[in-house]
Amino acid sequence: MDENNNSKLGEGVGFERIRRITGYLVGTMDKWNDAKRAEERDRVKHGSGKDA
Amino acid sequence: MIRSVVKRDGRVVLYEQNKIASAILRAMVETGEGNAEDAARVANDVERRLEKKIPDINPSIELIQDIVEEQLMNHDFPASAKAYILYRANRTRAREANTSLMKTIDEITKVDSRDSDLKRDNANINGNTSMGSMLQIGAAGAKAYNEAYLLRPEHAKAYREGDIHIHDFDFYSLTTTCCQIDILKLFHDGFSTGNGYLREPQSIASYAALAAIAIQSNQNDQHGGQSIPNFDYGMAEGIAKTYKKQYAKKFAEILEDLLDQDDAAETAKEIIHNAARGSGESPAMGNSAAFDLAIREELVKICSLSPEAAAKTASRARKRTYKQTDRDTYQAMEGFVHNLNTMHSRAGAQTPFSSINYGTDTSPEGRMAIRNVLLALDAGLGHGETCIFPIHIFKVKEGVNYNEGDPNYDLFRLSCKVSARRLFPNYVFLDAPFNLQYYKPGHPETEVATMGCRTRVMGNVFDPDREISYSRGNLSFTSINLPRIGIESEGSEELFYEMLQKKMELVAQQLLDRFEIQADKHVYNYPFLMGQGVWLDSDQLGPNDKVREVLKHGTLSIGFIGLAEALNALYGHHHGESEEMQEKGLAIIRFMRDFCDKKSREYRMNFSLLATPAEGLSGRFLRMDQKRYGKIPGVTDREYYTNSFHIPVWYPISAYNKIRLEAPYHALTNAGHISYVELDGDTAKNVEAFEQVVRWMHDCHIGYGSINHPVDRDPICGYVGVIGDTCPRCGRREGEMIDPKRAAELKKIYPEVAAFQGIN
Repeated sequence: MDENNNSKLGEGVGFERIRRITGYLVGTMDKWNDAKRAEERDRVKHGSGKDA
Repeated sequence: MIRSVVKRDGRVVLYEQNKIASAILRAMVETGEGNAEDAARVANDVERRLEKKIPDINPSIELIQDIVEEQLMNHDFPASAKAYILYRANRTRAREANTSLMKTIDEITKVDSRDSDLKRDNANINGNTSMGSMLQIGAAGAKAYNEAYLLRPEHAKAYREGDIHIHDFDFYSLTTTCCQIDILKLFHDGFSTGNGYLREPQSIASYAALAAIAIQSNQNDQHGGQSIPNFDYGMAEGIAKTYKKQYAKKFAEILEDLLDQDDAAETAKEIIHNAARGSGESPAMGNSAAFDLAIREELVKICSLSPEAAAKTASRARKRTYKQTDRDTYQAMEGFVHNLNTMHSRAGAQTPFSSINYGTDTSPEGRMAIRNVLLALDAGLGHGETCIFPIHIFKVKEGVNYNEGDPNYDLFRLSCKVSARRLFPNYVFLDAPFNLQYYKPGHPETEVATMGCRTRVMGNVFDPDREISYSRGNLSFTSINLPRIGIESEGSEELFYEMLQKKMELVAQQLLDRFEIQADKHVYNYPFLMGQGVWLDSDQLGPNDKVREVLKHGTLSIGFIGLAEALNALYGHHHGESEEMQEKGLAIIRFMRDFCDKKSREYRMNFSLLATPAEGLSGRFLRMDQKRYGKIPGVTDREYYTNSFHIPVWYPISAYNKIRLEAPYHALTNAGHISYVELDGDTAKNVEAFEQVVRWMHDCHIGYGSINHPVDRDPICGYVGVIGDTCPRCGRREGEMIDPKRAAELKKIYPEVAAFQGIN
């Protein structure tokens, strides 16, 4: 890598976000279908407290 | 007078009354309603009617067919009229399939998969590659053929209109879903992959390599995922072989140093041989004191060592061998995991969907396998990436690994630590009553194992003495659109159950039809699965035998999605909202399970109820129902239906309550189930909290569960964890460059990161 590229390290490179779909993990959400992307977007976190 | 006819494609051909008569006769013969004379009479009237209706125009095929239907009714041949209409509909279906197939192939060939939902139907296939596209084109062709020629019209209609979904429909005429591969049975005496013969493996390195090959080979014989139910027990045997070999090597090395010889291999061999004969044991991690004692005596006798030096030598050999075997095992497990993440199969378009089950082997070798596969998973791939394959499934069992003092409790704790970082292992709970009922200590084949996706096979009405997880799997499954039944029943519970019953009858028949196609195949159609005896009892068949009877060890599963939306449609609330709705939900699923049990008894085949893993389906059903019924709040107002019996992903609820409410459905869905909870990144970092969630799953009698939490990675600086807008390690935003000064600093801290190699 030359000096020029040094200064642009990371440009255009996204983060990987691993999620679970039907039991399997998928490394990038690019390959998810529209419905499952929407489902992933809607997921809410579950508090671990016992608020029965 | 009619002289010519206009065909569908516009061509004009000569009119022949005979053709009409023979089509009518075909329908009559099928129903036994008339003879050739009747057919000719009806055909005559068809012609007269046509001449009267359009005296000067050439009639179209469609019009002629309309009039044939009409005349059959007029002449009082109602059954033949019906047969004729069905025949016509089938032909139309075949024609339409052709047109839509060409459109589909057009999209597969021309559109970027990022813009084509169709091409992202299965997230494991890259639709932008040539092999991926070829696979998709093949699937599209097979689906068109299967729908037009193999399905009964009523099944085709229900499938096309979204009442039901026939999974893996492209493979309808080809193979079955999945199998739990008993690797010990496969390895004993070696096996053939179909492309070559492999001898029985002799070290942990080859056990691990061949386990990956077994998964790859079977992936080409079936359309579902691949799983090993006994990964720890299987690898343990390879570890024992490596230990034995390494012992001879290490023992010789120690002797060489001690006696100042260049080669003491022969002496070492003699001592080990004598000690083995004297003690009745060969070198093994679990050797009793008798073996070491015998070694010491031989050392004194043959090498004239003092008793003290002999004792030291024996203990040193043991320690060094253990260390070396442990290192070899880690490398083998690392190789296995890397292999499964990079391996291609199915014409190169897919990585095998692989799963491994482990956790209950308490032998020293089994424990070594479990610990090292967990450590390899924790380390990640070459650049620290989280492994996507295989799915790791940790079998939790009281008395084995669940409680403090259990022999594998330390490994259960380690699994929680790893899962909190890497999302795997998932957990299967052998103490849940519906799993415990099969469990026989000392018989690992009676421990429930699961396919990573959730498919589970245990009960066996076909052969009640073989209620085991090994060597069996699902044959096929079809899912029911529960929300639609909820909408259509317009608030009437009675109508809901009536319609559900009918839908289940329809699906059961369709599964049996598919079974007939599968059962008619021969052993040579499944060279690995059946040819190598992987499937239960297939080792008793010859290559030209049909697989009908042995297939009956498998399951025919009826699945469902959208219980939450169905409840909302029917009662206005879902099962996360009140105990009353929970009862209603359980009643529906219990009804479905009872239906499956009844069918099982009736046919002596394993009908089972599946909590469907919905990938493409969650959107497919929803889109069709939205078109049909509009946006009904809580039912069709999102972009997907909720998975199986899950509490909707968007509904705020604690992990504790979600698990408590979903657990009773696990008991009912004997074809497989999974529950997830979503934790935030900080909770996942807290291993204690993580373990508490797993324990709560166990105590609530969840069958199979896993914990989701965000696992992100910056491929530039190598950071793994939660990344919001900016990377906590290097500080860059998505798509932006790292500040050069920061990059230089990071290089000093993380010199192994590939991206930093080129910078100064």
